[in-house]
Amino acid sequence: MEISEKIPSLLERIPPFILEIIKKIKSLGISEEELFNVRLSLEEALVNAVKHGNKMDAGLVVEVYLKVNSDKLIIEVKDQGEGFDFKNLDDPTKEENIKKTRGRGIFLIKNLMDEVRFKEGGSRIIMTKYFKREAKL
Amino acid sequence: MKIKEEKEGEVLICRLEGEININTSPELRKSFDRMMRDNEKKVIVEFSGISYIDSSGLATLIEMYQRLKRNGGRLRLCSMTQKVRDIFEITKLTKLFEIFPNLTEALEGF
Repeated sequence: MEISEKIPSLLERIPPFILEIIKKIKSLGISEEELFNVRLSLEEALVNAVKHGNKMDAGLVVEVYLKVNSDKLIIEVKDQGEGFDFKNLDDPTKEENIKKTRGRGIFLIKNLMDEVRFKEGGSRIIMTKYFKREAKL
Repeated sequence: MKIKEEKEGEVLICRLEGEININTSPELRKSFDRMMRDNEKKVIVEFSGISYIDSSGLATLIEMYQRLKRNGGRLRLCSMTQKVRDIFEITKLTKLFEIFPNLTEALEGF
């Protein structure tokens, strides 16, 4: 299964868009836990793309590409921003950061997905989840 | 998301139902704003009806924790489903918040 979509940079469009995606991949027999992790990672990546990448400019789009094989799911999220310094992110679990209200999105993605890579200066994130058992394709 | 509030003595119990995401976090923030205006000092957020929380939800709770603390109040969280609890564990927010397995224990000694 492959899905390729473009969404405008509007935060309110993110949850309904994700629910549509989850509905499509739910039928593949992916576990509830894996679905939760994929859903949260996709939301965090989209919110980052809209807020920090496209700076809430509704005229800019976020591209989403998703591919499911029998053993893994790959999601790419690309914004139209200049990227960011993804190699120097604060650890939100450290004492000095624990009370901060920002900086948990990418940390969550890295913990919930199996592989996370950034391309194009950070404006493209590629997230991979390996299934515990094979998906029904 | 549904937010129901009830008072048990001095304690305000805030029961949440549904999902805390980028669209519903502002509703939660509004409820917290009202609690602060009402000068509530002891607040318990009950999570048994919450199936999903994202970083915007975590941020809203951290904000509330800070505001209550500055105002001489306290925030307790209780009755999380395992998956929601996992998000607090991963982010180590279990070190920041007082989290209880159920409402009875959250009310004890509050």
